[in-house]
Amino acid sequence: MEFRTTGFNGYAVKYSPYFDNRLAVAASANYGLVGNGRLFVLGLDASGIHAEKVYETSDSVYDLAWAESSETQVILAGGDGSIKLFDIAAPGNNPVAQWQEHNREVYAVAYNLVTKDSFVSSSWDGTVKVWSPIRSQSMLTLPTHSCTYSAAFAPRSASIVSCVSSDSHLRIYDLRTPASATNHLVHLIPAHGHAPVPGGPQRPSYEPAEILTHDWNKYRDTVIATAGVDQLIRTFDIRNPKGGPVAILRGHNFAVRKIAWSPHLSDVLISGSYDMTARVWTDGSTSATPSRPITLGPEAWGDEYGRFNAHTEFVTGVDWCLFGTEGWVATTAWDERVCVWDVRTVMGQNRTRFHTP
Amino acid sequence: MTTAGQRLSSVLSHLNPLSSGRSKLLQKNPDDIVITYAARTPLTKAKKGGLKDTPIDDLLIALLTIVREQSKLDPNLVEDVCLGNVLAPGQGYMARASVLAAGYPVTAAASVANRFCSSGLLAVQQIANQIIAGSIEVGIAVGAESMSTCPDNGAPVLSTKITTHSIASQNLQPMGQTSENVAGDFGISREKMDQFAATSFQRAEKSQKEGWSKDEIVPITVQVKDPKTGVVEEKVIDRDDGIRYGTTAESLGKIRAAFPQWSPSQTTGGNASQITDGAAAILLMKRSKAEEIGQPILGKFCGATIVGLEPRIMGIGPSYAIPKILSKTGLTIADVDVIEINEAFASMGVYCVEKLGLDPEKVNPRGGAIAFGHPLGCTGARQIVTALSELRRQDKRIAVTSMCVGTGMGMAGVFVSEH
Repeated sequence: MEFRTTGFNGYAVKYSPYFDNRLAVAASANYGLVGNGRLFVLGLDASGIHAEKVYETSDSVYDLAWAESSETQVILAGGDGSIKLFDIAAPGNNPVAQWQEHNREVYAVAYNLVTKDSFVSSSWDGTVKVWSPIRSQSMLTLPTHSCTYSAAFAPRSASIVSCVSSDSHLRIYDLRTPASATNHLVHLIPAHGHAPVPGGPQRPSYEPAEILTHDWNKYRDTVIATAGVDQLIRTFDIRNPKGGPVAILRGHNFAVRKIAWSPHLSDVLISGSYDMTARVWTDGSTSATPSRPITLGPEAWGDEYGRFNAHTEFVTGVDWCLFGTEGWVATTAWDERVCVWDVRTVMGQNRTRFHTP
Repeated sequence: MTTAGQRLSSVLSHLNPLSSGRSKLLQKNPDDIVITYAARTPLTKAKKGGLKDTPIDDLLIALLTIVREQSKLDPNLVEDVCLGNVLAPGQGYMARASVLAAGYPVTAAASVANRFCSSGLLAVQQIANQIIAGSIEVGIAVGAESMSTCPDNGAPVLSTKITTHSIASQNLQPMGQTSENVAGDFGISREKMDQFAATSFQRAEKSQKEGWSKDEIVPITVQVKDPKTGVVEEKVIDRDDGIRYGTTAESLGKIRAAFPQWSPSQTTGGNASQITDGAAAILLMKRSKAEEIGQPILGKFCGATIVGLEPRIMGIGPSYAIPKILSKTGLTIADVDVIEINEAFASMGVYCVEKLGLDPEKVNPRGGAIAFGHPLGCTGARQIVTALSELRRQDKRIAVTSMCVGTGMGMAGVFVSEH
C-alpha cells in the first residue's frame, strides 16, 4: 500500500502506539533544505491509505513522536529549532503547544515509554533536552557539543536517555545520577571503537563517522543499535560499554539514515538508507553460530534477510507496526511516498521466523 | 538562523564522508586554537657549538625577546608563558624571571612543563588547553634546553619499591639501553638503522643548503668563549651545526657501537640523536582573538595526546601515540602530509615507520634529531616550527608530530598550516 506526500519529501514515519491503522509522517518541501514542513496523520483501511489530518509548518520538519500519554497527540521536530505538539482531536490546524529553545534544527523527538509524562529532543545545536508537555520550558539540557541526530529514552527505564551524534559517539545519560560536571553522562561509547592500547587485543580499526540513528532493542533492554555515515549498523551492550560492538551488520552502500528494532523478534531490525533501500537484518544473537567472515575482532557479523527496492530516493523513515500480523512496516523516503509493506515478502525462507496467526 | 546551504552540506557530508576527517579539520572556526608566530633558535652541539656558553635563562630571554619584537604583539596581552624544559635546576624561578627580563609586563605569568622529550609539545598543549578552557586568551609555549650547561645525569636514586618492581624498575635503564631493546625485540638491523640515519643527514644537508631551514630559524646573539684563548666574544648564531655533509649509510656503518654492554649493540654515535642546545617558541590564541588584534594566522593546533607503554621499549611510543591522535582527530594516515617523528634513535625511527606503514618521504623531510640534535625540552616545540615551515614550502596542510618519551610514553599532536 502506498500514500503520496506530493510536494513533500518524507523525513520520518511512525505507527500510532494505540491503533494499528494509524500512521503519522513528517515531510518537508524541497528535500528539507528550504521551505515548509508538513505533518500527515494517515489512516489505513481496505481501500488504501488516506490523509485524516494535514498540518503545515513554516519550516522543514525532521522527526515526530506519538505521545504515549494521549492517543491523539503528536510532537513534531522543526528545522527552525521549534518543537510543536499537535492534537488531532483539537479543532483548527494550529499546534496546541510549542517550545522554542533549540538554536538549530531539531532532528529527533522521542517519548518516555515508562512514565509517559516526558519526552526528549536532540538538535544540531549540540544539545539534548528533556521536556514535559505540561511545562513551558525544558526540564533539563544535556550538552553533547556536536550535532546530535537522534535521542531516545530507554524502553524499560524512566531515567535513562541515549543519543548519538556527529562526533561518532553513543552517549548514555542516567538522570538519577547527580548533575555534576558530567551532566548525568554515564557512558561515552565511541561507535568506531576505542583507540588501540599497548598490549591490547588486535582489532580492525574504523574511522570515526557521524552517527545518524539509534534504537533500543525491545527485548534486551541493554542493547542498542547505532548506524550512520560509515554504512555499518552496530549493536552495543551498555553493560559492557568498553567492549566495542557486539555485532556489525554490513551491506548498505551509503549512509544509514534510520533503524528500528522489531517489536516481535529480538534479533531483527529494519534500516533505511541513502542507498534507497530498506533492509531487514538479524544481528545473529539468536543463532548458535553467528557468522564471522573475518576473524579479527570479537564482534559477530549479522546477516541481511532481504531488502525493499521500491523507493526511488533516500529512505529516511522506517517503523514497525506493533499490532496484528507480525512483520508489517511503514517506510518513507525523499521520493514523496509512504509505503506500507510486509517484510516477509522480501525475506525468502526466513519469512517463517515471524509468527503467522 | 539557518541557511539551506548548511542543511545541504550536512546531507552531502552524509553521502560523501570519505574526506570528512580531513575536510573537517581544515574548517576555520572562531574558537580554533591558532598559531600566530613560530620560530626556533639554531640548534648547536652541546659543549662545542655556538650556544655552549649560553645558560638556559639567557637562551630563553633571547628567544622570548625575539618573539615579543617580531610578532608585534602587545606584550600586555600575554597572560602565560609555559616553558617545556627537562634538565634545568630551579626551573620555576628561571622561567618566570626570564619572562620578565625579556620585556614582558609583571602580568605575564610563567609555568614549566616537563614530560621529558615531549615537554615542548606538552607546553603547547598546556597553553592551548588554558585557552580552550577560557582561563587565558593569549599565551606563549616555549621549549628550551641547554644541555651544555645542564647535563643529563639520568635517573636519580629511587625507592626500593621501584627498583624491585618488575616494570617500574625499567625506568632505571639508560635511554641507550632502551634503543638496543627496541632493535633486539623487533629485529631492526644495523643496516636499516644506518640507512635511516643517513637519510636524516642527507635531508638536513639539503634543507640547509637550499635555505629551507632559514624559514624556521631566528638568529640569536650570544656570548661565546673561545676554548683556546678564553676570550669571550659576542657572536650571531644563525645555523644548525650538527649536520655532517656527505654522510652515507656506508660511512655510518663504520662507527663503533656505543653500547657494547647491551645486545644487539647496534646504536652508535651516528645513528642516535645528538646532544644539543636550542629553543623554540609558539604563540597561541583563539582565531577570534587573532582576527580581533590583527595577528597573522600561520596554522592551528588540532589536538595532542599521550600514551604509556613499557619503559624498556619507550622508543616505540609514537607507534601508539600517532594512531591515537589520528583516531581522535578523525584522520587517516593518508590525510597527513608531513610527519615529524623525533629521531631519538634510528632503531625506534625505523620501527615506527615500518609498524605504521608510513610513507618514508613524508617522515622528517628536513631530517631530524640524528642530523641536527635533540635538545630535550626544545624538541616538541621545534618539530612544530619545522613542520609548519615544511608544509608552507610544499604547499600542504596537515602535519602530525610525535616523539617517544623516556620512562615509557609517546606523545603526538596534529597541526594544520594555514599559509
